[in-house]
Amino acid sequence: MSPQAEKEDNKILILATETCAYPGADSVGQAHSPYPANTYILRVRAPVLFPESFYFDCFKKGISGIIIMSCGEECPYDGAYKALAKRLDAVYKKMKEMAIDLRRLRLTAICTVCNRAFLKEVNDMDKSVRELGPPLVNPSL
Amino acid sequence: MVSPDIKKFDTLVVGGGIAGLQAALDLGDQGYTVAVVEKDASIGGKMIRLSKVFPTLDCASCITTPKMSAAAHHENITLFTYCDLVSLDTDESANGSGINCRIIQRPRYVDPVKCIGCRQCEYICPVHVPDMEQGGLSAKRAISIPFSNAIPQLPILDIEHCMLCGQCEKVCPTNAIDYFQQPEDMMLSANTAIVTTGFELLPVKTFVQYGNGSIPNVVDALQMERLLAPHGPYNRVIRPSDGMEPDSIAYVQCAGSRDKSHGVPYCSRVCCMYAIKQAMLLSGSLPLADITIYYMDIRAFGKGYEQFYQNAKAMGIEFVKAKVARIDQGDNGSATVRYERQDGSGTASQDHDLVVLSMGVVPGWNPEPICAVSKSTDHFITSIKPKISPVLTSINGVFVAGAAAGPKDIVDTITESGSAAMEAAKFMSNSPRGN
Amino acid sequence: MEEKKNKVGVYICYCGGNISDHVDVEEVRNRALKLPDVTVARTNMFMCSDPGQEMIIEDLKSGKIDRVVVASCAPSLHETTFRGAIERAGSNPFIYEHANIREQVSWVHHGDPATDKAAILIASATAKAKHLKPLAPIHVDAKRHATVIGGGIAGIKTALDIAGQGIDVTLIERSPLLGGQLNSLGQLAPYGDHASDILKELIDQVTGHTAITIHTNTKVEAVSGYVGNFSLNLLKKSDPENIPLTLDTGAIVMATGSVSYTPFKGEYGFGQYESVITLPELIRLLKANTSSRSMLEVNGKPIKNMVMIHCVGSRQIPGIHPPKENGTLNEYCSRTCCSAMLNAANQIRETFPETSIYEMYRDIRTYGRGQEELYMQASANKVVFMRYEADEPPEVSKNDDPDYPLQVRIKDGLTFNESLTVPADLVVLATGIEPNDVTNLASQMKLPIGTDRFLLEVHPKLRPVEFPITGIFLAGTCQAPMDSGEACNAAGAAAVKASALLSKGYIELDPFVAEVDTDKCQGHGACVEACIKEGALTLMEVINPDGNPVKQAQVTPAMCLGCGACAAVCPEGAIDINGWALKQYEDMVDAIVSDSVAV
Repeated sequence: MSPQAEKEDNKILILATETCAYPGADSVGQAHSPYPANTYILRVRAPVLFPESFYFDCFKKGISGIIIMSCGEECPYDGAYKALAKRLDAVYKKMKEMAIDLRRLRLTAICTVCNRAFLKEVNDMDKSVRELGPPLVNPSL
Repeated sequence: MVSPDIKKFDTLVVGGGIAGLQAALDLGDQGYTVAVVEKDASIGGKMIRLSKVFPTLDCASCITTPKMSAAAHHENITLFTYCDLVSLDTDESANGSGINCRIIQRPRYVDPVKCIGCRQCEYICPVHVPDMEQGGLSAKRAISIPFSNAIPQLPILDIEHCMLCGQCEKVCPTNAIDYFQQPEDMMLSANTAIVTTGFELLPVKTFVQYGNGSIPNVVDALQMERLLAPHGPYNRVIRPSDGMEPDSIAYVQCAGSRDKSHGVPYCSRVCCMYAIKQAMLLSGSLPLADITIYYMDIRAFGKGYEQFYQNAKAMGIEFVKAKVARIDQGDNGSATVRYERQDGSGTASQDHDLVVLSMGVVPGWNPEPICAVSKSTDHFITSIKPKISPVLTSINGVFVAGAAAGPKDIVDTITESGSAAMEAAKFMSNSPRGN
Repeated sequence: MEEKKNKVGVYICYCGGNISDHVDVEEVRNRALKLPDVTVARTNMFMCSDPGQEMIIEDLKSGKIDRVVVASCAPSLHETTFRGAIERAGSNPFIYEHANIREQVSWVHHGDPATDKAAILIASATAKAKHLKPLAPIHVDAKRHATVIGGGIAGIKTALDIAGQGIDVTLIERSPLLGGQLNSLGQLAPYGDHASDILKELIDQVTGHTAITIHTNTKVEAVSGYVGNFSLNLLKKSDPENIPLTLDTGAIVMATGSVSYTPFKGEYGFGQYESVITLPELIRLLKANTSSRSMLEVNGKPIKNMVMIHCVGSRQIPGIHPPKENGTLNEYCSRTCCSAMLNAANQIRETFPETSIYEMYRDIRTYGRGQEELYMQASANKVVFMRYEADEPPEVSKNDDPDYPLQVRIKDGLTFNESLTVPADLVVLATGIEPNDVTNLASQMKLPIGTDRFLLEVHPKLRPVEFPITGIFLAGTCQAPMDSGEACNAAGAAAVKASALLSKGYIELDPFVAEVDTDKCQGHGACVEACIKEGALTLMEVINPDGNPVKQAQVTPAMCLGCGACAAVCPEGAIDINGWALKQYEDMVDAIVSDSVAV
């Protein structure tokens, strides 16, 4: 291994639901379809777990982009998706106030076999964060 | 020999492949005690030896190992591997609680209690023998664990080839090597039995039209599974004779199946799908290779199978409607496939670098004379109620599941095993428990 | 070496090359060893194998580790395997975290980035693992009663099997009649059993069974509850007052069956010419036919030339076959039609030797036992076979010949691909199988439906008769086309799972539910407001250590879904999800950004 491997500055965090998007990401793996390696998939039960502050903390810590891959309408937790959508509205509003590019956060629905949709989301976000670079968020905010 | 102790169980499962394991798990989970008797050194049957499985393309190991492991560690399941079934007596008058069987544990020449599976013996052994677990395509040592994810992880000393050099005995950290180990006689009794003895492929050797197994680079489908497996003999797909990456690969369908005169008259049910699956895996590992499947009818009948077949067609795998009449040795290690087109336009021939024979499926075990379950002219065990319960045999309290009851894919086998476990459980609920 | 506070063991799988071909597994192990909480890092060719699991067990037993991280394939495959291994070591199975470095690393990334990412995912899993605490499964009392929805052969067999284990069963059928599709069948392929005999045997058993309650003419209106404690609202059609029945049950088996495909108007002349009928119609005619003549008679007219067309409404290909008006296209094979067609053809040829038969097929799929024999028998019976391609299907049109009102043109793949025309006085379409539409019920119960519109199992091999919702199973043709024997096998498999689940009278559930930190909870009630499951979270009055009554949130574990909606809104951070805590995610993000393990 080359010890001088280039350090990856543009990290993308993916919050993937365990019933839909996470197996969806596995399905992309089973198809051996490559995508950028700067993506870090966290398995979540429902993204409604994360408060507004979580997203801003991520940006402060240096995460360049976040994709929430939910089950969408297929969400097994009735009502959770609505609450999530409402929370993200507030997050987007605050992002605007803080001048964080809105492209850094994306909510999408990925099913267990949505390989193409997964790849598109990941590649789009990768393009965006490469253009935008790491976020410069004032840690004191 | 002194009469051995009788070990008592609720159910005896004959055969530790995927069918037997599923049936054992479904019974064990309900609280029934189960003995699984397996002739091979490891449980897992044919499935654990496969590469990936259709139509999901999961790796076979990944689906089989959890079930193998669950059975091996189940509090209600006892495994008897490397055992021969010598007799199986049923006493129907005893209301089904009368199954007695005698099994003989063949010697591994390794003490199963002392062995820690460290494989030091295997590493030091100087004798190489063909590895039949790799389709005979590579070599292993005369003392070795059957394959990497075998259960149990006990080596077997191949006494035919061992030169008794004593190196394994010396290196073993636990003194587990026992050159004088004797076969062990065991008696088991149970209330019910489930026969899950699986299948074998027709031997290529008996087919003169395919060269009797003497043409290099003509392999059977199970050998191809090993070539495709991630832990196969060469770790990639190459021609056995010269290590060349094949540019052109042919599948000969219905090799011995649907063939009254040379093989078996029935359809072997799984060959279409495994050939398509192998072709898809091949086009992944050898993207430039031409793959041709010679077939009569593609039988993609299961859930998601037709879609799988259409995907294969879209991937550029060539399907040729023809019956292969014979195969001859060609130039430079190739094989010449001579075939008759189905449209009536006559015969043709084509050279291929590698030819895979989708050999017909035959029963893995002949119950005669050990167990008098009724069979059909196809030699598979028959059901007395094929439309209501395909798992009921002609003997009360004896059930059948999987390929022992006719060629069957894994999906159908697993479902049928659950059904056999259900019938066995119901049978035991309705009759007084023997223990 | 200094004593570490947390003792995480990291186990990395080669997966026989699946991982190690792209990830430098030994390098990853070395980097994992440098993580502050890791005391042991090991590798194995197959971590899921017995020797792989043994390593974990030994390290736990010897006290080298108290948390386990396995880096291997997708957790869906082996999470339970490794939890089981930890349990066998005498430890709590929930001290386990998984790093997915095959499906989400080695199969999609290559070279150094793959190795770096694998190392980071392990660091992140380790960060989560250090917060894992031992958990106990939630004990739920389960009603020893199962409900089977659908009274076709799969439903009847499921009910009989479960009841055979001493568990009460309620069987619900929408129509007035038990037996489902089998009611419309006659002599069954391949052995010629009569569908009516089979049904009679099963219906006699099910109606006579003391542990089985049957509701025909009954619709399931609503389903609520959870495993062991479901509640169904039933509506009996015969009840003039529409009073819903309530049924409490421990498990549910979906056996909602299928219907025969109805061709659209003009499909092979269907609905256009009266001499074009479907296979079920032909079977009905054969059942009713008592004629002793040498020709099959339909509506009093003897049939001289009958053309049978296979794969109608099955094996449809997008771009070639037009979707139906409702947008559906059946890409699957209906599995049973080939044998049923051949069976009918043999019956006709053997009873009415003057009726000629032409079978037009794409592939003959006589896969099962006794089925190939039907095919051979049909050849011996001089049934003429003609083969067509999906993109050039036979064309049925009007004929001027008064003896043969129709003609069928086919490009025959068995005769030099020549275009041939067959005059016909009857055309039979092998219409496929379509699932009954249970969309409403499925969406209410959160059951997945596949793109083929059949109900979708968790995994065809690992869990073929189960849904992701614990306690709900499926059997028969609601899952996929199958014949009677196959549907009965599926029924047995579903019944054995349901019986095992209900046998003890209680069920153990995953402990991933919300837990309140009573030291921190101030009783704001924001969590109760945010909670999406009625009854899972309530504000209760409790006496605090000072002896004063205060309000605090309380979780009903068997009801809690574990979604975390509560955790997001608590101003005190006093409520979190066991095993999936917000705090754990924060630490995982820290591990991802820290780059400590990437070079």
